[in-house]
Amino acid sequence: MNMKKVLAMLLTASMAFSMVACGGNETTPSEEGNADASEPATEESTEGNSEEGEAPAASGEGYKAALLLNGTLGDKSFYDSANEGLTRLRDELGADTFDFKVEQMGGTTADEAKWEPTLLDYCDSGEYDVIIMGTWQMAEPLAHAAEEYPDQKFIFFDEQFDFEGNGNPQNIYNILYKQNEVSYLIGAAAAMMTTDETIEGIDPATKKIGFLGGMDNAVINDFLKGYEQGAHDVDPEIEVVIGWVGDFVDSTKGKDIALGQYQSGVDVGYNVAGNAGLGQIEAAGDSGLYAFGVDSDQAALLPDYADRIPTSALKNVGNSLYRAINLDLEGNLGYGTVETLGFAEGGVEIVKDAHYEEMLPENIRTALDEMEQKIISGEIVVETAIER
Amino acid sequence: MLQNLLSPEFFNAILRATTPILFAALASSVASKSGITNMALEGIMLFSALFGVIFSAMTGSFPLGLLLTMVAGGVIGLMLAFFVLNLKTDEILAAIAINLMATGGTVLLMLAVSGDRGSSTSISNVSAPKIVIPLIDQIPFLGKILSGQNLMTYLSILAVVVMHLFLYKTPLGLKIRAVGENKNAAESVGISARKIQYIALILSGVLASMGGFFLSGGYMNMFTKDMSAGKGYIALAASAMGGDTPVGGFLVSLLFGAAQALANMMQLTDIPHELIQMVPYLTTLVGLGIYSYMGVRKRQKLAGK
Repeated sequence: MNMKKVLAMLLTASMAFSMVACGGNETTPSEEGNADASEPATEESTEGNSEEGEAPAASGEGYKAALLLNGTLGDKSFYDSANEGLTRLRDELGADTFDFKVEQMGGTTADEAKWEPTLLDYCDSGEYDVIIMGTWQMAEPLAHAAEEYPDQKFIFFDEQFDFEGNGNPQNIYNILYKQNEVSYLIGAAAAMMTTDETIEGIDPATKKIGFLGGMDNAVINDFLKGYEQGAHDVDPEIEVVIGWVGDFVDSTKGKDIALGQYQSGVDVGYNVAGNAGLGQIEAAGDSGLYAFGVDSDQAALLPDYADRIPTSALKNVGNSLYRAINLDLEGNLGYGTVETLGFAEGGVEIVKDAHYEEMLPENIRTALDEMEQKIISGEIVVETAIER
Repeated sequence: MLQNLLSPEFFNAILRATTPILFAALASSVASKSGITNMALEGIMLFSALFGVIFSAMTGSFPLGLLLTMVAGGVIGLMLAFFVLNLKTDEILAAIAINLMATGGTVLLMLAVSGDRGSSTSISNVSAPKIVIPLIDQIPFLGKILSGQNLMTYLSILAVVVMHLFLYKTPLGLKIRAVGENKNAAESVGISARKIQYIALILSGVLASMGGFFLSGGYMNMFTKDMSAGKGYIALAASAMGGDTPVGGFLVSLLFGAAQALANMMQLTDIPHELIQMVPYLTTLVGLGIYSYMGVRKRQKLAGK
């Protein structure tokens, strides 16, 4: 009897614990808004783990940064990009002027418990001019650290930090990305593709392009708004067929919705639905049509479907950090503020590699480059679904 | 829209959406008939979706991959039985534990095997093939529905027949039902209730694992994180609405599959998607209403009113 009680209590305790832990995870879509739901989708730790990181400590004089990752390098997405940007800066300025250390805290539920202590340890050491971290999961630990160490500077990327709710800390610089601008280019590319009979499998008679969203929230709508505007600027008659999965995980449902879109005459789609978006890419494969990737270079990540993915919309975390630290070295970084970076600041981009050149005809690529320049110069203003 | 509804693609979509729910509904019915609610279907399906990818990639063969996945599903069923029958854990709590373990456990396992966290893209698994039935595929319209489905879809329908015969025409099936009706009465005639419930739960795990296998090896061709997305729970409802019988479960699964496929198709129209996403749940609600109304009528008849 006693044994039973103990067991029951243990079970309850472990479940309560795991529920709390999972609860944390499940807030991903709503909180993060989820442009980046596919971020974990793309992590792969096959390479890159050993090449960077613990650089020898600088000689005391130079600017030192710590990059705290609530994950690991090798994700082929945000974290690798962040590391690449900082490495580039160090190579340019020399390790005496700028140096950084990467701390890979791990991204699983089990690792969550050590994120905040690690962050506080780094603050406590006082060795670093700035501590860099990102994603919604670090927002709360950061709020605590920023309050406890008002003299420590922080850079926080890819999630809006709640300045007002945390007493307006003046030691955080917050970076967001203009997903509407990069989606504008994707929409324009999709519109040009769907009427181009030279591309294999395309039916130029139907002027339809598809969009598969995860949940109907502000960030995803920001993607959608840019996408629609880009498509309509190319050809006002283009019809954008929109599908919503309702979550970011149900890939089978994503596939069925996307299959329906392709069967109704859509030639090109755009997935902004996290893992559920992989369903659209499979549907494109089954239909012999096309889908644009998001958040990471999905053509490279999904070799089986690469010939269905002309390019992917990316946020360039590395560029944004490179820029931020350069500004900070000049003493011009706006701590206490939020900045939203677009093409002009190199905060977003589409993948333009050999694969892209192979898949898209030159006239489309040239038109896209021109549009990108017009967005940078302000000639094209992309509407947003987010109040900034 | 109407044109879309009458296309063979729409019926194919129904069958596709029905298959995983049907396997899990059958799994639920055999467990329920033995007197245990198997709420771990969701977790078993999720685990099996990953196992299917790993095992079929390891063996390089679909049948072997499916077989090993079914064994693994049976083992999870066995674990559940051990917790519930030997350790006297509450069956719902043990099932929730398995479901939660599946969410994190699959990611951990995937990371260990492939280094991926979100989807198993780097594992080249072997999916269940689509079966084209000669002659039948020549029939206009119907041929495109009856033929060319995924092998797992045919297996799921075959499983309905097998499970029906098993539960109603075999001695073991009779024992399972007897234990579920009244454990003490069954034991009084020398049936070991524990043994029977063990068998029922293992069988339940095997059936659910076939549904899980289909998710990543037929429906999709890769495992993605949390891809079961509540299908195990929907199956639980389908089975209950079908009176925990295989045939009843089949009909309700088909209804749910149709509702889901219809909702997906309706996204092509201008109807607000919030309303569309209600369709599957609304169908469930209406279905449950009809079911309980029929139950009331039946009892009234029996009472002679």
